[in-house]
Amino acid sequence: MIIAERKPLNEIMDMLKGVSRLLVLGCRGCVAICSAGGDKEVEILASAIRLGCKKQGMGMEIDTDTYIRQCDPEYIEPLKERGRQYDAVLSMACGVGVNFIADLCPGVRVLPGLNTSFYGANLSSGEWKEMCAGCGACVLHLTGGLCPVARCAKRLSNGPCGGSVGGRCEIDPNVSCVWFAIHSKMQQMNRADDLMEIMPIRDWRTAGHGGPRSRRREDLLS
Amino acid sequence: MSNRITAFCCNYTLSASEAALKKEGLIPEGVTLRPLPCTGRLEIKDLLNAFVEGAEAVVVVGCEKDACHNLKGSVRAEKRVKHVKGMLKELGMSPDLIEMHFAPRKASEPLIRAVEEMSQRLKG
Repeated sequence: MIIAERKPLNEIMDMLKGVSRLLVLGCRGCVAICSAGGDKEVEILASAIRLGCKKQGMGMEIDTDTYIRQCDPEYIEPLKERGRQYDAVLSMACGVGVNFIADLCPGVRVLPGLNTSFYGANLSSGEWKEMCAGCGACVLHLTGGLCPVARCAKRLSNGPCGGSVGGRCEIDPNVSCVWFAIHSKMQQMNRADDLMEIMPIRDWRTAGHGGPRSRRREDLLS
Repeated sequence: MSNRITAFCCNYTLSASEAALKKEGLIPEGVTLRPLPCTGRLEIKDLLNAFVEGAEAVVVVGCEKDACHNLKGSVRAEKRVKHVKGMLKELGMSPDLIEMHFAPRKASEPLIRAVEEMSQRLKG
């Protein structure tokens, strides 16, 4: 899922200067699951903004709501009209939701309440880790299911590098070397020899280096 | 006029009502006591809303860590208080305006001390 975290409150308060009517809008998708932008976090942020306003002597009327998803047009349809009632809509969705509102709701000023961080997994309550970089050219079948793009600091295709020591990455001893883990995993599966084959130079265009990405499936288009 | 302090506590750490404590002069008039079934029920927004509603400071008094009636309620409350301290800092406020305390069952003294300590902090 997409992992995000709330922006610092001082940054949010700066964004809201001059705003008298605000809608704090959550999303029940990924950001609700990672406890960044669901119903609960919307109420917390609204309370924090009220407190910030009180401290700064700002008057602000704040409404709250949470949509099922901010990345599907049917769910943000009501915002096209409703959003105009506010000086700003503070979206607590990932950047996709903010962009989508900006694209589809003319006349609505949308602001980001979160920093979108990465695609990750929930390791335990309150702990997330990047597992995928969304590079568009998956090589997990060659690497024992472990991603060298997302989980190697150098994004090496043929690792490990010389900085791998005792299964740890040179950037931080708390970070595992994914290439060490790939090798161990392939050994467990008696497939270590597969790693002798040199992976070709990657084509990074699928990772967004060729401009914004999009996808169309003819069988689903209306 | 005493400072406005909101004191959250659980049913297990409170042995007298707000009115009784005030009548005995054990807590100042400005203190609002908000008993809960368990401090673990306190949400971050409840703590923030106490400030929004006028509290100058907030104290939370829960069961002793290893003796919480609901096992981990007071530990959860402690984590939320810590989180709110961070939010206060982000808003340019002092993190010392909120504090967590742990108290044995049915002992009012720690609550009274917590309120007194916070009152002194506000005056200082």
